[in-house]
Amino acid sequence: MTATAAPAPPDEQSDDEALPLRRTPARKRLVPYWLLLPGILWLIVFFAAPLVYQASTSIQTGSLEEGFKVTWHFATYWDALAEYWPQFVRSVGYAAVATVLCLLLGYPLAYLIAFKAGRWRNLVMILVIAPFFTSFLIRTLAWKTILADGGPVVGALNALHLLDVTSALGITEGHRVLATPLAVVCGLTYNFLPFMVLPLYTSLERIDPRLHEAAGDLYARPATTFRRVTFPLSMPGVVAGTLLTFIPAAGDYINSELLGSTDQKMIGNVIQSQFLRVLDYPTAAALSFLLMAAILAMVTLYIRKSGTEDLV
Amino acid sequence: MTHTATPSSGGDVRLHRISKTYGSFTAVQPLDLTIPAGSFFALLGASGCGKTTTLRMIAGLEEPTTGTVELSGQDVTALPPYKRQVNTVFQNYALFPHLDIYENVAFGLRRRGVKSVKKQVEEMLDLVQLGPMARRRPQQLSGGQQQRVAVARALINHPEVLLLDEPLGALDLKLRRQMQLELKRIQTEVGITFVHVTHDQEEAMTMADTVAVMNGGRVEQLGAPAELYENPATTFVANFLGTSNLIPAEVTEADGTALVLTAGGATLRLPTRRCNTPARKGEKVLAGFRPEKVALAHADDAAAVPEGHNRMAGRVRIASFIGVSTQYVVDVPGVGELSVYEQNIGRDGRLVPGADVVLHWEPEHTFGLDAAQSLLAGTTDDEGAELDGEAA
Amino acid sequence: MAATDTPAQDPTATTAPAAAPAPRRSSGKGLRWLRRNLVTLAGLATLAYLILPNVVVMVFSFNKPNGRFNYQWTRFSTDAWTDPCGVADMCGSLGLSLEIAVWATVGATVLGTMIAFALARYRFRARAAVNTLIFLPMAMPEVVMAASLATLFLNMGIQFGFWTILIAHIMFCLSFVVTAVKARVMSMDPRLEQAAQDLYATPVQTFLRVTLPIAAPGIAAGALLSFALSFDDFIITNFNAGSTVTFPMFVWGSAQRGTPVQINVIGTAMFLVAVLCVLAGQLAGNRRKRSKRS
Repeated sequence: MTATAAPAPPDEQSDDEALPLRRTPARKRLVPYWLLLPGILWLIVFFAAPLVYQASTSIQTGSLEEGFKVTWHFATYWDALAEYWPQFVRSVGYAAVATVLCLLLGYPLAYLIAFKAGRWRNLVMILVIAPFFTSFLIRTLAWKTILADGGPVVGALNALHLLDVTSALGITEGHRVLATPLAVVCGLTYNFLPFMVLPLYTSLERIDPRLHEAAGDLYARPATTFRRVTFPLSMPGVVAGTLLTFIPAAGDYINSELLGSTDQKMIGNVIQSQFLRVLDYPTAAALSFLLMAAILAMVTLYIRKSGTEDLV
Repeated sequence: MTHTATPSSGGDVRLHRISKTYGSFTAVQPLDLTIPAGSFFALLGASGCGKTTTLRMIAGLEEPTTGTVELSGQDVTALPPYKRQVNTVFQNYALFPHLDIYENVAFGLRRRGVKSVKKQVEEMLDLVQLGPMARRRPQQLSGGQQQRVAVARALINHPEVLLLDEPLGALDLKLRRQMQLELKRIQTEVGITFVHVTHDQEEAMTMADTVAVMNGGRVEQLGAPAELYENPATTFVANFLGTSNLIPAEVTEADGTALVLTAGGATLRLPTRRCNTPARKGEKVLAGFRPEKVALAHADDAAAVPEGHNRMAGRVRIASFIGVSTQYVVDVPGVGELSVYEQNIGRDGRLVPGADVVLHWEPEHTFGLDAAQSLLAGTTDDEGAELDGEAA
Repeated sequence: MAATDTPAQDPTATTAPAAAPAPRRSSGKGLRWLRRNLVTLAGLATLAYLILPNVVVMVFSFNKPNGRFNYQWTRFSTDAWTDPCGVADMCGSLGLSLEIAVWATVGATVLGTMIAFALARYRFRARAAVNTLIFLPMAMPEVVMAASLATLFLNMGIQFGFWTILIAHIMFCLSFVVTAVKARVMSMDPRLEQAAQDLYATPVQTFLRVTLPIAAPGIAAGALLSFALSFDDFIITNFNAGSTVTFPMFVWGSAQRGTPVQINVIGTAMFLVAVLCVLAGQLAGNRRKRSKRS
């Protein structure tokens, strides 16, 4: 899913490289393992093992004072789901909407950089990447100013009676934007937009411009050219971008905490408060295990469906 | 195989005062050109000479700065490519990598709303002998096969004009030869007007019935291949099509039918009708002749040179045997080095480096050019042309 | 097939002045312009959306708010710029974040580069497993990694603080370094290394003189990404910091307690420094390219 520009990995290396390998002494044959050892050990100890450990925590019972023991208490999962399914659904829903918005907003920008920016290309690229270097918390807080109740954005939306429409749809409340689903989705979209734009740009930039000309030459109008040639060829970028947006957005709790109210809590908020405030570790573990499982399942299904391996 | 035999499906192309400039760079100078229906027309020139730009303006991929493009009598200058009855075989083919061969070939038909494409696509794939490959992806095909797909994908739309942009450039020599004949066969079979852009003079001469030699954004000369070769109008054409010996000369006598020139102490005769510049007595011209038209005689046999031939004396500097012929470089005092190609029929063992020789050829094989041109235009030593190529 | 009868007209190699430009049809000019530039306009709108918060951060670094929160424009002031460390603990947390980011970058870059070379240049068993292990951290919501790692530390009785943060940061930066370096090394022509050996370079010399310099841009990209990710990380740090406060945690806390203007000063300064660095790098690159060409 990462948007690397690498050619197909030379897994099957040519014979002239394989031959010396066979003749090399054992000491040399161990080189790759020595190279891998420290980093892989790090990931096993601090990434993989904790996940297993967490799985076991989720079926423990006990209390802080007496300690926790594995009691195969699967009921934690049912209890957690029963209580927090609205946050679960909300997380997936917000993340999905934000991902679609990122795609709709990010595609024209990536297209602009890849095909239209010309000598401005580098400048636009810098402007896409540079916000990364300001802490995203500070930037998210800036949305509090932008969407403030008395601010120009809300004023304009009110003047156009757009907030009445969004209120009727249930994505805003009264005459404000902050502390509504709209604000949270707006923040999520903003925060993960570069993760959509960059892989899209990478895959668009690789398309031979002559393919566009060939489509035009073969009677495809610009819109048809986009639908039949450009978009299918940018699928690797679309898949990578949507994953890079959806996964972190589904687990995010910062936007809902800073821009939303208690009615916009997502599953990340719940895990955070269960773990750091309530100190109910089994529930936190169960919820985070569920989130992981749900996302892995969705991602696997999505990659299968979109059939990226079939593309160039 | 004349024009009467060709079906009328092809259209003619008329370019009227068409030009293209990018900022301060002029890719194509104002140009009038008529390409008759059903012909195989080649635009020949080095990279950056404006030939591809001209082709792209016909295709609609490039908007002309001035002038108009007419297809079969209809002004199409303002039409986008997808509304023109013209198809292109792109350089490196531009096959859609996400579609298989069948869908690549069907692309144009589907865009125009043709419902049942199966029969047409299959017929077209058979024509280019790729029937069994229909469900493969372009990247699974060899270069020659990809090239045939590109041709099929364009031809299936029955365009009035087929444009070919360096269609054989990516193929190796042997395959290129084979595809040249193949394309020529297809063209005579379907009778569509072909406009073919190439930098390969041999390719242009083999395939086209009319060649336009372009240089620096203009057409230097236009005509049938043999005509261009035998009677080049400029030094560029003389050097770019094959090789020429060009020597500065002065007109010493001019009557109605022939000119008498002196060059490096030798006296040469040149039929007036083969002189491409008005030349009067006392003026300078360039006298040119092809290396293969020259015969080489050892100085001892100088008396045997036929009367009436142009002749020059020199010394062999280099003799290279290349199979069908032997190529000599002969140093002629006061003129410089000249090339001579001799067929290997009866090789004269005395013609080795250092031997004194006499070059001789029929006056009929001499051509005259305007002296106010670079002798090197169109050769590989022509620095200017190389740099222009980069700019494009 | 001598086409001597070609009615081709004079191919005019004339230099006559160009004819007047072909007339452009101009019906509904504005609408057509809009249609032609729709994508560009949409792209620019998205760009504005991306940049707007940075502009707001910059503008509000010159604000002098009345209350504790810096959300409403009150009046212009340069107070915060003249006294950037005037808020208790903020510059301390900034220093800590920088320190952690530097060490996390070093750690992740070294470990990640080693893995990348192993993956790109050697054949070994368990390759698929290694690839999966590299991929998973990037496909995992941060909160999951954060909670599980914190659970581990908690149960092993490890004191939360600088070291736990550093361990966590190296862990999640590692995969990104591997990806960046591997892409670079794999796109490198293996014949370059063979050529070096052919020219009498020992394996070590080949690595130092050829492989490493060519892989350098990938390593640099991975390191830069690590630095940015580590410096800006909040979620994983929040779970594994204990009472230690990094800069993002300071900002988070201030969102509850009151946001000092100095936060905007730091944010703006970081933005400007980053843009200037990139621009300087671009200019240097351009100059090098130009001098190479001449």
